[in-house]
Amino acid sequence: MGKHLGVMLLALGLGAGTAAAAAAQQRSISGRVASAVSDEPVAGATVAVVGTAISAVTDASGQFTLSAPEGAATLLVRAIGYKRRTVPVPAGQNTVAVSLEQDIFNLEAVVVTGQATAVEQRNLPQAVSVVTSQTLERAPASTIESALQGKIAGALIQSNSGAPGGGAQINLRGVSTINGSVDPLIVVDGLVISNASIGNNINAITAAAAGGNASNQDNPVNRIADLNPADIDRVEVLKGASAAAIYGSQASNGVVMITTRRGTTGAPKFHLTQRFGQFRVAHFMRSRVFADSAEAVTVYTDSALVGQLCNLPGDACPNFDNIGALWNQHDLSSETDASISGGTDQTRYFLSGLLKHDAGIAPHTGYSKQAIRANLDQVLGTRWTLAVSTQVIHSYSERGISNNDNSGTSPYLVFPLTPSFVDLRPVNGVYPDNPFERSNPIQTYALFRNKEDVWRALGAGTLRWEAVSGERQSLRFTATGGLDYFEQRNDILSPPNLEFEPNDGQPGTIVLGKASNLNLNLLVNAVHTYIPASGGLQATTAVGLQYVDRAPNTTNIVGRNVLLGQTNVDKATNISLTQVLQPQRDLGLFAQEEILAMDQRLLLTLGVRADRSSRNGDVNKYNLYPKAAASYRFTDIGGGGDELKVRAAVGQTGLQPAFGHKWTVNNTGVVSGILGSFTGTFVGDSGIKPERQTEIEGGFDATLMDGRLNASVTVFNKTITDMLLIPSLALSTGRTQRVFNGGKLRNRGVELGAGYAVAQSPELNWIIRATFFANRSKVLELPVPAFQVGGFGTSLGAFQIEEGKSATQIVGSEGVVGDATPDFQMSFSTDLDYKRWTVGMLWDWKKGGDVINLTDLLFDLFGNSEDWSTAGQQRFTDFGNGLTQPYVQDASYLKLRELSLSYRLPSSAVAQLFGSRVKDARITFSGRNLIRITDFHGNDPEVSNFGNQAIARNIDVAPFPPSRSFFLSVDLDF
Amino acid sequence: MTPTRLWLLVAALVVGACDFDITDPNNPPPIGNDPSLAQIQAAATGILVAARSDAADWNLDAGIIGREAYRFDGSDPRFISELLEGPLDNGGGAFGGDHWFEEYAAIRTINDLLNVIGTATVLSPAERNATRGFAETMEAYAYLMVLMGHARDSIPADVNRPVTDPPAPFVTQDSAYRFVSALLDTAAAHLAAGGTAFPFNLGGGFKDPERGDFSTPPLFLKVNRALKGRVEVYRGSLGCGATCYTAALTALTASFIDTSGTVTLNDGAYHVYSTRPGDIVNPLFQNPLTGENLVHRSLRDSVEQKPTGGNDDRYTAKIVSRPLTSAGVPPLSSDLGWIRYPTADAPIPIIRNEELILLRAEANNALGNPVPAANDINYIRAKSGGLSVIGGLAALTQNQILDELLRQKKYSLLYEGHRWNDMRRLGRLGQIIIDRPGTDVVHATLPTPLAEVLPRLP
Repeated sequence: MGKHLGVMLLALGLGAGTAAAAAAQQRSISGRVASAVSDEPVAGATVAVVGTAISAVTDASGQFTLSAPEGAATLLVRAIGYKRRTVPVPAGQNTVAVSLEQDIFNLEAVVVTGQATAVEQRNLPQAVSVVTSQTLERAPASTIESALQGKIAGALIQSNSGAPGGGAQINLRGVSTINGSVDPLIVVDGLVISNASIGNNINAITAAAAGGNASNQDNPVNRIADLNPADIDRVEVLKGASAAAIYGSQASNGVVMITTRRGTTGAPKFHLTQRFGQFRVAHFMRSRVFADSAEAVTVYTDSALVGQLCNLPGDACPNFDNIGALWNQHDLSSETDASISGGTDQTRYFLSGLLKHDAGIAPHTGYSKQAIRANLDQVLGTRWTLAVSTQVIHSYSERGISNNDNSGTSPYLVFPLTPSFVDLRPVNGVYPDNPFERSNPIQTYALFRNKEDVWRALGAGTLRWEAVSGERQSLRFTATGGLDYFEQRNDILSPPNLEFEPNDGQPGTIVLGKASNLNLNLLVNAVHTYIPASGGLQATTAVGLQYVDRAPNTTNIVGRNVLLGQTNVDKATNISLTQVLQPQRDLGLFAQEEILAMDQRLLLTLGVRADRSSRNGDVNKYNLYPKAAASYRFTDIGGGGDELKVRAAVGQTGLQPAFGHKWTVNNTGVVSGILGSFTGTFVGDSGIKPERQTEIEGGFDATLMDGRLNASVTVFNKTITDMLLIPSLALSTGRTQRVFNGGKLRNRGVELGAGYAVAQSPELNWIIRATFFANRSKVLELPVPAFQVGGFGTSLGAFQIEEGKSATQIVGSEGVVGDATPDFQMSFSTDLDYKRWTVGMLWDWKKGGDVINLTDLLFDLFGNSEDWSTAGQQRFTDFGNGLTQPYVQDASYLKLRELSLSYRLPSSAVAQLFGSRVKDARITFSGRNLIRITDFHGNDPEVSNFGNQAIARNIDVAPFPPSRSFFLSVDLDF
Repeated sequence: MTPTRLWLLVAALVVGACDFDITDPNNPPPIGNDPSLAQIQAAATGILVAARSDAADWNLDAGIIGREAYRFDGSDPRFISELLEGPLDNGGGAFGGDHWFEEYAAIRTINDLLNVIGTATVLSPAERNATRGFAETMEAYAYLMVLMGHARDSIPADVNRPVTDPPAPFVTQDSAYRFVSALLDTAAAHLAAGGTAFPFNLGGGFKDPERGDFSTPPLFLKVNRALKGRVEVYRGSLGCGATCYTAALTALTASFIDTSGTVTLNDGAYHVYSTRPGDIVNPLFQNPLTGENLVHRSLRDSVEQKPTGGNDDRYTAKIVSRPLTSAGVPPLSSDLGWIRYPTADAPIPIIRNEELILLRAEANNALGNPVPAANDINYIRAKSGGLSVIGGLAALTQNQILDELLRQKKYSLLYEGHRWNDMRRLGRLGQIIIDRPGTDVVHATLPTPLAEVLPRLP
């Protein structure tokens, strides 16, 4: 560390001298950069003098001017979305015209690989997935996770339920931990933001976790859902330690780096998108249809009641579609996106606003979001620039009641007991009591309220100082400070007149949850670039520090026994409260050296990060995370610009202990108004340290067929050591678990990506893409006996960690009965532009990966499954004979994630419809999750009763059913 | 100042200024040496919280296995599939593997206090003894609860050791009962040397206008002796015989047993509940007409009529009719609901006078004293049930008297967690009525939890 800083300061001194010396020998070159197809000017293109650090950026009319050394020069011209071009400029020539061709596979993109540095995609030594705004916007998505589904090789992105407003898990390259946190680090414009999942404590009504402590069955939303997908310019995903090492002990689950849109130089550009659409239930489980009362009494013993209900001629039973009636809402959904961007040489701006309402598929469900953003770039003098990003978001969701319960309140725990011959629909506004279970879900959804209201403010400022900007070297200091603050308020009202409410003897329940979190970020770094006079080499040194302070504070109040019509918690007789604080501080120091040599064909990178954290046992110790990477491009292998890049990278990251892993504490309770302190269940380790992931990846990227075919192959092997193991203690110790570092887990896999431009012409552009991903994990060393990390006990299927076995194996009564890891995942997408028409679609295929389907078990258990006579009875008989297998089900799926059909109006029609100020207008039909093909026997194969989980995802207990959406939208540019 | 220096200064400030040493803001640490009075109070109350944590769940599960109760829970079939049909899954913590951990957690809480009480300079020697006597009595109660659920397997007893040490070895059931018995005697000696007041408030479970006062060491000693009486009667029935039954009578005499009528049959020590913040309500309190917990219909089938007509008073006080509800395949059903715990703050007995009288009757009957045994049984019949006295009861065989005693105990201690254990230790599990022959079983014991066994494997 000290040595690197010394080198840099030395460079600073040298740079000041050479910069002054170079000034005397310069000449001016100016020119225009334009699109090769349309000759429209390309704004924001970078024009650099090869072999020097001199560069300039084009303005709105594509113009640039720069100072170059005397003599012949070569200009390198690059712009986002275009292929690079080198242009020789003879000594006497001072003006130049450059035309650029489109870059369909984004090979020219610059990928942020360090905290402060970036590498061009063509040199990139790791498989970093980049998703651009074009692919993000193919079909409107409620949240960013769904917009990323199927677009990243190596990422398994699955929603936890169909409830509106988010709640999804991004899992990069398979299992990385058993007991640690599972979410990747989310970085927005350099700012580490919170992706916390804060439960709404609907557990107060569902009693899913009996005992009333914090439950992870609340179906929470992880807060990345707040981001506005329309604001995102690009998403870069660092999938493993080899790429993410520079983020140290926060990055074992990978890093999702989001860059928001910024203004480009030029006159103000307005963009408006207006969408109208609808959400409809995509699929849901139904119950058994009973022929007559004779069949009904085989299940329901109250023959008098059965006789009364099965009253059709011949004692036939009616069939009321209560379940269908519940998921039958399809109100209008709408979205309005507006943005203005533009700027001058000194100031660039991007302003956007969003108004969105997604109506849910059941009464009193839905999701709304409003967001405004202002991104500003300001040049301050000759060497200073300031970039500011600010955003305020309000999101509001109503998610009904779903998932596991122990109170007969969650619809899919009520329907298994409720025969189809009872009519639960209201008569004259009166909801009939359900004679077969504690609640009537139709009444529940009509009267129950579950609201989540989130206000969030994100702000980041980056001050950049070009301390030295010379021909041979440059030195840049950057400081980014930012905050991410949100307040989440949950209001749950379960009024006393609900059928189930009087059951606990305290009719009416109100839950008021307030959670806030403040993330404070400081990122300071220095980047030194050195190009020796001999040329052919570029050395970039970066050093810096990153400090993140997190302060989550969650309070929750539950009031029971409430007066009808009252909504305040103090209008209850039984009030209980909880508060949880989880402060955390992290500091990382990093240094990195990148050498680009051999005519930019060879890239070598070395780096190290040193991290300390308040989560560790030893808070003063710096843990080191090194990385190294290399890539080499074989150019002109087949002529015509074809090239092959071979790459390899190795790196380490850490995964911090969970909050509380270092402490052994007591619990508290009250008896007779006196506070008591009694033993807690968990034994902490005062020396606990982060898990360590070591990843080696290698592969190649090829551009063939004159740039029309792009293919990429990556294999990775990651090994996790010092795992946070939480073995069970013998219960007679009075404690259940302790934590320590140990064990070894391996995960290896392969990622393939390919893109092919089938046609490229002014009239027809057609690109198809495919990705493939498969991985396998194995527990290599486990210094504790095999243990279970999720599920409801062996007989109902449980995830069991066992040496020598897959980390995601599922065991049942009869032994291993499944594995949650898919055999493989593939996606196919196609984007076709023909004249004024654009068609795009994305298919997402998951093959294999099992789900423990307890909803199916419940229907069978109560003799009420839709397929009882053909299959359900057999499943249940097998289960009764000691088999768990019938309920550990293959959750393969093929989904049409996105479909869009768009028409660009002729300019005459645009003028006629919208007036002359509108330059461009498009009409688009788009849909999400329109087609689903699966053999899975539940609501949806994407399911997790326990929310985001390292291992124990894929447990289906009464989930909210999935929906599909359709939108018709108009896009206007002016 | 140059920008470079400014940057370095910012960096230095960040590195230097942050305090990374955060302590848990949410929970207190375990009790340490030389505790304060407030910490001792918190520890004593903590023992009561921990001891209470399994009471309701035990009464429900033991009630289901002993065919006093059902739970028709649409959300969890295991109240039927495990508890009634079997087999019990020792891998889960809620059913087969239950009624073990909460008790040992209470024992850990108790030992945490016992391990430091000698260092409490704020207490007088008598107060330390009083604290020990209370804690040891509650420890013995916790062990007894484990033994009531786990009849065949032995249990670990010597558990006061660091969690990183190898787990305590299993001892036989007989050794465990003797250990519990001796622990109650040690506690009694400490209570006897404990002066006149505890240095903490035991709360409403041990002092209540309607349920008696056991809030000082001499009074709490009576609770200790009551538990001793129960332990010795159990031991007597499990093979120890006359020696233990005699010890039981001695202990019961020193307890708060009362047949004079000066105190009620409900006199005793209780787990108490409330709706106050931080407290919990009685988990067995439900709406009797719609709640998930129901009454086994055999209780109506076998109920006796009062001489004045009408059902046994205990039946009418604890059971109410409700709409027929069914569950399971083949279906089980009931149209009886519980009003045993009629309010959210209804207490659950730890041990009470009515049980003591029936324990004395059992000991006397076993010792061949049918007259006092019959007197106690008849006293309960009349006093608690409003039933007629059985004239020739003392003349019946020992076994017949025991049958009558168990019939009365069933209604006297209904939904209080006794019947299954009583029937089992007296070899009468076969008499428990099951609904679905061929489908249902009556479990002889809960299995040792897998989570107790697995960590012991090499």
